[in-house]
Amino acid sequence: MEIKRRDFLKLLGGISGAVAFSAYGCNQIIDIPERLIEMAKKGAGIESWKNTICGQCPGGCGISVRLIDGIPVYIKGNPIYPVNQGGMCPSGHSALEVLYNPDRIKEPMKRIGLPGSGKWESISWDEALQIISDYMIKQRENNKSHQVVFIDGSEQNSLMKEHISHFMKAYGSPNYYQYPSVKNSSVPFQLLQGIEQIPSYDFFNTKYILSFGSNFLEEGYSPIYYSKMYAHLREETEARRARFIQIDSRMSLTAANADRWMPIRPGTYGALALGVAYVLIREELYDKQFVNKYTFGFEDWTDKNGQTHLGFKSNVLGNYYPEQVSEITGVQSETILEIARELGINKPSLVLGDQGSADNTNSTFSQMAVYSLNALLGNFNNESGLSFTDQPPLAELPEVKVDKLATIGNKQPPIGLSQNSAFPFTNFSVDSFIENVLADDPYPVSALFLYKGNPLFNALNHHDFAEALKKIPLVVSFDSFLTETSEYADIILPDHTFLEKWDEISNIPSVGFTHVGIQQPVIEPLFNTRNSAEVLVDLGNLIGESVSNALPFENYEQEIKFRVEKIYRSGKGAIISEGLKGSWLEFLHQRGWQEGEYNSFNEFWELLTRNGGWWNPIKQKKYIKNLFKTPSGKFEFYSQLLKKKIDQIVLSRGEDTPQNRELLINSLNISARGDKIFLPHHEEVPVDEGIPLYLTTYKLLTNRNGQSSNQPMMQEMFGYTNRKYWSSWGEIHPKTAAQNGISDGDWMWIESSVGNIKVQAKVHPCVMRDVVAVPFGLGHTSYGRFAKGYGINPYSIVKNKYDVINGNSAPQATRVKISRAT
Amino acid sequence: MPKWAMVIDLDKCTGCGDCMAACKLENNIAIVSPEEANVGRVMFWMDMITTYEGEYPNIKVKRIPKPCFHCDNPPCTRVCPVYATYKNDEGLVGQIYHRCIGCRYCMVACPYTAKVFNWYEPKWPDEFKSCLNPDVSLRMVGVVEKCSFCAHRLIKVKENADMEEREIYDGEYSPACGESCPTNAIYFGDIDNKESQVYKLSQSSRSYREMENLGTEPKVIYLSKRE
Amino acid sequence: MRDLIKKYFKLLIISLFVISVLIFWAASGANPTNIQPIAYNHKLHIESVELICSDCHIYVESMPSATIPNISICEECHSDDPITDSPEELKLIKYIVEEEQIPWQQIYSVPDHVYFSHRRHVSIGELDCSECHGHVEEMTEPISYPAWLPSMDNCIACHNELKITKDCLSCHM
Repeated sequence: MEIKRRDFLKLLGGISGAVAFSAYGCNQIIDIPERLIEMAKKGAGIESWKNTICGQCPGGCGISVRLIDGIPVYIKGNPIYPVNQGGMCPSGHSALEVLYNPDRIKEPMKRIGLPGSGKWESISWDEALQIISDYMIKQRENNKSHQVVFIDGSEQNSLMKEHISHFMKAYGSPNYYQYPSVKNSSVPFQLLQGIEQIPSYDFFNTKYILSFGSNFLEEGYSPIYYSKMYAHLREETEARRARFIQIDSRMSLTAANADRWMPIRPGTYGALALGVAYVLIREELYDKQFVNKYTFGFEDWTDKNGQTHLGFKSNVLGNYYPEQVSEITGVQSETILEIARELGINKPSLVLGDQGSADNTNSTFSQMAVYSLNALLGNFNNESGLSFTDQPPLAELPEVKVDKLATIGNKQPPIGLSQNSAFPFTNFSVDSFIENVLADDPYPVSALFLYKGNPLFNALNHHDFAEALKKIPLVVSFDSFLTETSEYADIILPDHTFLEKWDEISNIPSVGFTHVGIQQPVIEPLFNTRNSAEVLVDLGNLIGESVSNALPFENYEQEIKFRVEKIYRSGKGAIISEGLKGSWLEFLHQRGWQEGEYNSFNEFWELLTRNGGWWNPIKQKKYIKNLFKTPSGKFEFYSQLLKKKIDQIVLSRGEDTPQNRELLINSLNISARGDKIFLPHHEEVPVDEGIPLYLTTYKLLTNRNGQSSNQPMMQEMFGYTNRKYWSSWGEIHPKTAAQNGISDGDWMWIESSVGNIKVQAKVHPCVMRDVVAVPFGLGHTSYGRFAKGYGINPYSIVKNKYDVINGNSAPQATRVKISRAT
Repeated sequence: MPKWAMVIDLDKCTGCGDCMAACKLENNIAIVSPEEANVGRVMFWMDMITTYEGEYPNIKVKRIPKPCFHCDNPPCTRVCPVYATYKNDEGLVGQIYHRCIGCRYCMVACPYTAKVFNWYEPKWPDEFKSCLNPDVSLRMVGVVEKCSFCAHRLIKVKENADMEEREIYDGEYSPACGESCPTNAIYFGDIDNKESQVYKLSQSSRSYREMENLGTEPKVIYLSKRE
Repeated sequence: MRDLIKKYFKLLIISLFVISVLIFWAASGANPTNIQPIAYNHKLHIESVELICSDCHIYVESMPSATIPNISICEECHSDDPITDSPEELKLIKYIVEEEQIPWQQIYSVPDHVYFSHRRHVSIGELDCSECHGHVEEMTEPISYPAWLPSMDNCIACHNELKITKDCLSCHM
């Protein structure tokens, strides 16, 4: 791999003679209160470290913050925290730019102009809370408590979820939603296996990994955990090196690190997976013993009414022979044969299909297809690395005593999903929600609370969402920054940044052991902000006893302590500490020992906060048959759960006649018919005919969900792989570029049926032909001086499409054409 | 006298960019304006090079983290007219900002383009200095800067070892990039010590150094299965 | 041009003289002890209370920075009940009572591109404090000027003499 100096120069990007006179001074980058400056001036330069949990993404890494005289100056990974084991990602390092950001909201604000006008005035906390509580009391007294909606966009698996849901329950509204929601993403596993959880994959024993677009190094739930895991595949010893194949329409970070990248047409993972299944079945490479004993619906079967049903095997053999699949996916049939054989021979293996790959209208069915390969290969035994984690022994918050008013409110139908829902398996679809708000169906929304997140930036249909926000009389935002969404708020109640607050973050999805991390303040709040959890308690106190009793804690820290005390009493697991490996812990436990003896809970708590968390790598003994919580108690190729749900919807709408059934399936936008609906199958993605190219979007590690756009370091690093700083680009294959007369570095228009965007073209062979790939994250119209006006948001031209089963956004379901911009 | 060297395992490295960010934060590296960045004046001491090999669809992409190579036979130090860049006894190639006159000869001489130039005064107001790493001084306009292997960390590590009257143990001194690498792809240590991990890895059949034919003898050694 | 200089030469000489007189007057008029908020007496504390340097400069042996003690250290002995009848102690007590930090002026400092470590010099190098700070135990006036200037020349002179490393990277960062 010889590189010449000329290459380095070339790679550095052309140093042009352009003269510009601006440079960012740090006076623009930071904003710190006088108090801190005084601290630093008088300080003796004494260094200390504090452990907490990173809040830059939901990945839940443990971090150690370096403090000089109490002022945070550096962040590194907490070397003993088991999720990341000292590892970090770029965005974690830029967290100080969140803390010191000049665009932070420093005190409560009330909007004085029109929604979105950006005119605000400062108000006191008391005044803000008074306005909100008065309104909430009035709603409740008029039996309209259910019209208050809470959308939680934090994505972190924190105590906040339960905290908010308790508050809402006591207040009397069924409308608490998480958006985006991990729950929605677990639907495929629920359908096949009956477990409403994201599986975790362990690469330690596996010999072969086949990943259907699972971008676990970049877009996964916990990229650093998987980076650690990936490193094991690349150990020095040859024997440990598992082979790893990545299937994706563009060369993602994960694909770049795979042994082989296989380009595929967007939206066809399911077809390919079934093509692989075809070969496995035909060549009898599947685990017959497992399939016979622990699966349901593999062979054709007869139900109790004597009706015969299509089995997985017949469906696959009948519809997915490699040539056919090749036609759909663009993957050559020889390649399908090749990988299927490799997969069948190299055991144990793993087939991955979530974490960033679920972004099309057919994703649930595709993931069912991908996941069913794990069943064919019998990857559910102890050796293979597929598992589900146990819940940590945290204390439940005390049961809410619901008063009469709240009972009435809680009984109202939730508004997060339309009553004629297209999405049978979720409680929230942003699309239905917007529709419902605009149509006052089944009732108007009178107040909306937004905790973190930025749905207006992340949702596919910005315009309607903005309209919906305008329509709601009271919108309250709990956020540290003015985002696109909070521009439409009436009142902003600024939250601390994660470096200033308490929280408890447990069991990150896809991480392979039970764990609880403690997020704690590393510095006193810099500004007049408050922890949203405590603001809710304050609101509860103002609303009345029945609400305030739901969260009977002095403060949020006490609430966390209450939860954690049960762990202390359970004696399970251990506080993370140096040199404490999972295997050692297991060894101790088998012999009846317990790691760590604490004289009191205070001692336990002290060590817990000092070290950063608790974990339990030992899984409760799970017999293979307990792994399946389906109606048949087996892995269901034929999902009886999906069948039951669809039957229910049919009945709820009238008689169960073939016509009604057809109507429903049609309205769900499912093209399959008969038994195929309930089997893993390939659903055609409905697209605009005549538009030639696929648009795919992806998220980068430096800026997941567009949240890091207000941090200069991350803006600079946004395109470090292409040397495009602070800007977006569109990747196209050289042949696609040539066909459209575009060369590398040209500006081009990308046009869909909803709109167009202009980006610089990056022409390289790391993307499939007929695909345009644009990174998501930039293109803010608000969110502070470093975010606003840099790059473009590809979601602005993405059609308003959703997964037909779980209602997740489908940003890959849009076709575009490109042209050179002049 | 130890000789400090870095080993980067490209098979493990995913190219996530964490080393770049850790480095920027640790060394108070200025952020230039977007326009400046896009004309090639962006400042990364730890940079990332992307290479492409092969024909579609059998493309191999490799991202290569590129710090200063701290050559044993550095071309940059010879051309410096003011002794602002030099190699010390422990093999670190230092850059002394207050001596630098900004002639940029060293940037031209460096075959690895490891050095960057301060085209503008990074305006760090006094107040901000409290939020920067106090161990690394701030550079001014018109000087060249580059990766120092976090030499400021070495001072502290040495002091700690001397306080406890012992030798520095293997792995005790690590630059910021290696410390936070999520795949532990960056190793750092004394390559003259046969017991050190760095020495052992440097003897691997996978090891190579960039542009060895120039005779610069870089002390950053890459490990890669690929040629 | 030459004419111009001749013409103004006298004027120039006179104005230079006036300026230097002014400067001298200003310098001599300023009382050097005024620079510190409290006229701290090192000699008194060392002799009569038998304090040693590290009793108050607590980090001198363990940290790079020795630190100038402030009320939290003074409080160990002084409370709102004065020990002496010195008006300077009353000043201190005021700071303590009001929980306000004493705004000491730092006399010995190095620029921020220089790393200087007390523990390196004191604990590892076993240098006596007086090598750089002079005979503090004799000082009755508060420190207002350095006994020894921490300039690079002075550093190198000593490093030369004691054959200590002169590697740039051991001090510059």
